[in-house]
Amino acid sequence: MIERTPILNMVTYFIMIVGLLLILGPFWMIFTASTQSLAQVNAVPFTLLPGADFLHNLQAAWHRANLGPAMLNSLIMALLVMVGKIVLASISAFAIVYFKSPLRHVFFWLVFMTLMLPLEVRVVPTYNIAADVFEPVRWLIQTLTGIELSLQWNLLNSYSGLVLPVIATATGTFLYRQFYMTLPDELTEAAKMDGARPLRFFIDILLPLSRTNMLALATIMFVYAWNQYLWPKLMTTEADYQTAMVAMTTLVPNINSLPEWNVSMAGALIIMLPPLIIVAVLQRWFVRGLVSTEK
Amino acid sequence: MNKRAVFKSRWLPILFALPQLLLIFFFFYWPATSVLTWAFSLEPAFGGAGDRLFVGWDNFREVFADREYWQSVTLSLVFAFTATALSMFIAFVLAICVDRQLKGSGLFRFFYIWPYAIAAPAVGLAFRFIFAPESGLIAIVNTWSPDLWNPAKFGSHAMILVIICFAWKWIGYNFIFMTAGLQSIPRSLIEASSMDGSGPVRRAIDLQIPLLAPTLFFLLVLNLTESFVGPDTYGIVDLTTEGGPNGATNVMVYRIVSEAFQGLNYSGAASQSLILIGLIMVFTFIQFRFVERRVHYK
Amino acid sequence: MKHFGVKFAAMALALGLGATPALAEKVKFEFWHGLSGDLGERVKETCDKFNASQSDYEIVCTSQNGYPETIQNAIAAYRAKKNPAIVQVFDVGTLDLMLSGAYIPAKKLMDDNGYKIDWDNYFGGIARYYADSKGVLNSFPFNSSTAMFYYNIDAFTKAGIDGAPQTWEDVEADARKLKSAGFDCPFGFSFDSWATVEQFSAIHNQPIATKNNGYDGLDTELVFNKTKVVDQLTFFKKMTDEGLFQVKTAQLGMDVVPAFASQTCQMIQSSIADHGTIGKTIKPGTKWTVTMLPVWKGTERKNSLVGGASLWVLKNRPEAEYKGAAAFLNFIAQPDMVEWWSTVTGYIPVTKTGFDAMKANGFYEKPQFAGREKAIESLTYTPAGDLTRGIRVGGFPQIRKEISNAMEGIFFGKMTVQAGLDQAVERGNAIIRRFEKTYAGQTLN
Repeated sequence: MIERTPILNMVTYFIMIVGLLLILGPFWMIFTASTQSLAQVNAVPFTLLPGADFLHNLQAAWHRANLGPAMLNSLIMALLVMVGKIVLASISAFAIVYFKSPLRHVFFWLVFMTLMLPLEVRVVPTYNIAADVFEPVRWLIQTLTGIELSLQWNLLNSYSGLVLPVIATATGTFLYRQFYMTLPDELTEAAKMDGARPLRFFIDILLPLSRTNMLALATIMFVYAWNQYLWPKLMTTEADYQTAMVAMTTLVPNINSLPEWNVSMAGALIIMLPPLIIVAVLQRWFVRGLVSTEK
Repeated sequence: MNKRAVFKSRWLPILFALPQLLLIFFFFYWPATSVLTWAFSLEPAFGGAGDRLFVGWDNFREVFADREYWQSVTLSLVFAFTATALSMFIAFVLAICVDRQLKGSGLFRFFYIWPYAIAAPAVGLAFRFIFAPESGLIAIVNTWSPDLWNPAKFGSHAMILVIICFAWKWIGYNFIFMTAGLQSIPRSLIEASSMDGSGPVRRAIDLQIPLLAPTLFFLLVLNLTESFVGPDTYGIVDLTTEGGPNGATNVMVYRIVSEAFQGLNYSGAASQSLILIGLIMVFTFIQFRFVERRVHYK
Repeated sequence: MKHFGVKFAAMALALGLGATPALAEKVKFEFWHGLSGDLGERVKETCDKFNASQSDYEIVCTSQNGYPETIQNAIAAYRAKKNPAIVQVFDVGTLDLMLSGAYIPAKKLMDDNGYKIDWDNYFGGIARYYADSKGVLNSFPFNSSTAMFYYNIDAFTKAGIDGAPQTWEDVEADARKLKSAGFDCPFGFSFDSWATVEQFSAIHNQPIATKNNGYDGLDTELVFNKTKVVDQLTFFKKMTDEGLFQVKTAQLGMDVVPAFASQTCQMIQSSIADHGTIGKTIKPGTKWTVTMLPVWKGTERKNSLVGGASLWVLKNRPEAEYKGAAAFLNFIAQPDMVEWWSTVTGYIPVTKTGFDAMKANGFYEKPQFAGREKAIESLTYTPAGDLTRGIRVGGFPQIRKEISNAMEGIFFGKMTVQAGLDQAVERGNAIIRRFEKTYAGQTLN
């Protein structure tokens, strides 16, 4: 379609450039602030040109917030959550789609309902259960049989504690369910004709077919897990398991200290980099993941 | 949800469903029962009251009688609607522009998605600096006239700050869906309309907006839900205003968490949580109804 | 055969040693505190000193970055039975702990573990805050402070003011002089209820709540909207409107302490614990000092309230950890530790012997510490009376938040002083009523 609309094109470009400034402006601010000295960063008006203290600030932020271990923790958590969610989603959806049991509707709804219980509203009891996972089991056994067990499993300050409570995935399950639904029945029939058992079919046929799905899901779940804040903040009382997002808050200029925004911004920059790289480099997959989970 | 060709196995589906079932039981439903009990009793901070004091609807009565609770509801509404409108409007304008597929628009699209990658607390921290009254980008207005901009002092400014944070972060997300929606409009329709002599602006209004309506509606519900109860709202408020000044940004999600943890009022927080869960159900219901209808449409 | 027997015995001995690792392994226990930054480092040093002093126990000190966070995390951990053995709880969290049933009283712990502590050695004003009605301590006073009035002598000299302000009338007059001498912020204050409401009430002998500030029952009610606090805030408001007083909060970019240390403001009220920080951060050579908080002319001054925090020993830990906890608490109560702690922080010595030792050493005559003895003077100005021994009101951390909210409304918004205080009292009373209901049937002991 060829249209000659030079004025409109100019307006379009103008809007797009304004939009770009709007989007990239804050990134630029974070970057320049993180390169400046304490005096520069607090100067009014703010200079939008980089200073010479970039490395110094990065180092200061890195040490002050103890970002080395924190970044590693975040990475471990994000990868575990990512893998966990993909595994859970693929097998749960398989159970729902490929078997005819009346219970699958119940299961589906139970998973679906979790969307209505965000962490913010159940955070205190979730902490309790993370500290003592088998509490309901003991309670159940005691009410049923009267036997008191001393079974205990504490998740606080551990990787399992960071991961398990956020790993259940309704959206991932829906995505996989939808994907399985699009596969033709003939595929299943052919496999059954060849005598494939369900587990073989799942491993040899479904999983390889779902590679694109998996990659898309992986990108969004990595970003999701990396950006977790409230749960890691409450769950970790030991510095050993602090995640990067929580460590960042120690860089907020506080009551009795100097407003070292340059260091804060350097810290913010370091912490936002991993998910940003995922989105920039794997944008196609990321977009695909987002669009398909929400529809 | 029905496939013709299915497998027969008694144990495999159970085995496959079990991990997720256990997880949601332990980390969703069991905690939810605690929320339920607390909402109707008085839970001491250190727990272990043994004989929990059942108080019926007292906690709810107390919540509803609290002026500040209603203020918080109002603030949440203002926040949710303004942030949603702002974010969607900007994303829409950008999506329409990019969809014209002029030379180089791919590059713009590449960057427009970025904000979604940034965690809400990081957005909060960055914008807190950018919009700080004494340093950063906006501080210059205060040299023209003192206190022209001061989110630490004026509730309205603080609200604007958190709205900007949320709107900015969600531009990326909204943009992705809008471009996807626009791309699914058949080119032939647009060409036909341009042959009828309608220009690009006309076409946007007459053709693209109506055809994008389902996407826009979906985004509207989603944005409202997220801004009302989402973790992003909590993260942003926690890193910028902490609910202040004088409660001016004490939105519902933030209030619940701070009531429980700072106020040590688990029962009050639990009853507010239940109210919020009710609201989420309404939102989800609307969304679900709409998704269903759209499936019919197809 | 005999030879074999010896060998066997030696082997058994070796095995026996190997089987009792308790001999070699230290008992580890946790201590959570709320101090961070410089003061946090000092706590860490305290723990290191304890660990180096003996070989049976190892204390692990973890900062939770702030008093409110510490009590929140400790509660969450306690509910989950994963709590530390010792936790630092700030002054106003005392009643929440007292009624929790979650702690081992200080005296019982020490008696059980065979330590003799001279409880009368603690300053009365400090001890009564943390003691039950019979005067027996529930928790250990650790970092104690009180609010003081800081002023910049250089600025005073330049403005032609001589001597410390004794009364608020003096403060007003001095503020005017400072203003005309070109100082933009004569007096800076924040929305911290501790100095402006609580300490002010104590030294003016005003009740904060009925029933002797809650000591006589959970059915107490806040009353600071009907006392001199109203006049005080009205005065602050008037001064602020005239530009003589300025609001300095962290959200505005600078709290009172950095405002004073950077010489932005010439007078502030703040904790004596900030004495060390200010000394370290203010431009060297600057002359400044502290004095007792001013009173209104014609008021009979009473002692000020002790602030800071105390150490509570929580239940749910194995017996061995309590032995360690008792050893640690005994360790920090020794006169030389009290002295060291007060020297490096600015907190006041909590025991009379500690204070005497410091006086004898000439501590308070050293220029960098001069003035700190005023804090003791302020705390012991009169014997702790019904309104000056402390505040025993449930949910007080939240009530403080309500007070600072109200002050935000008064100084930033359009609220009148009376309306703001009424709001804080009304909302605070609701908190107290809920607390009373939650702990119904329990009595203060």
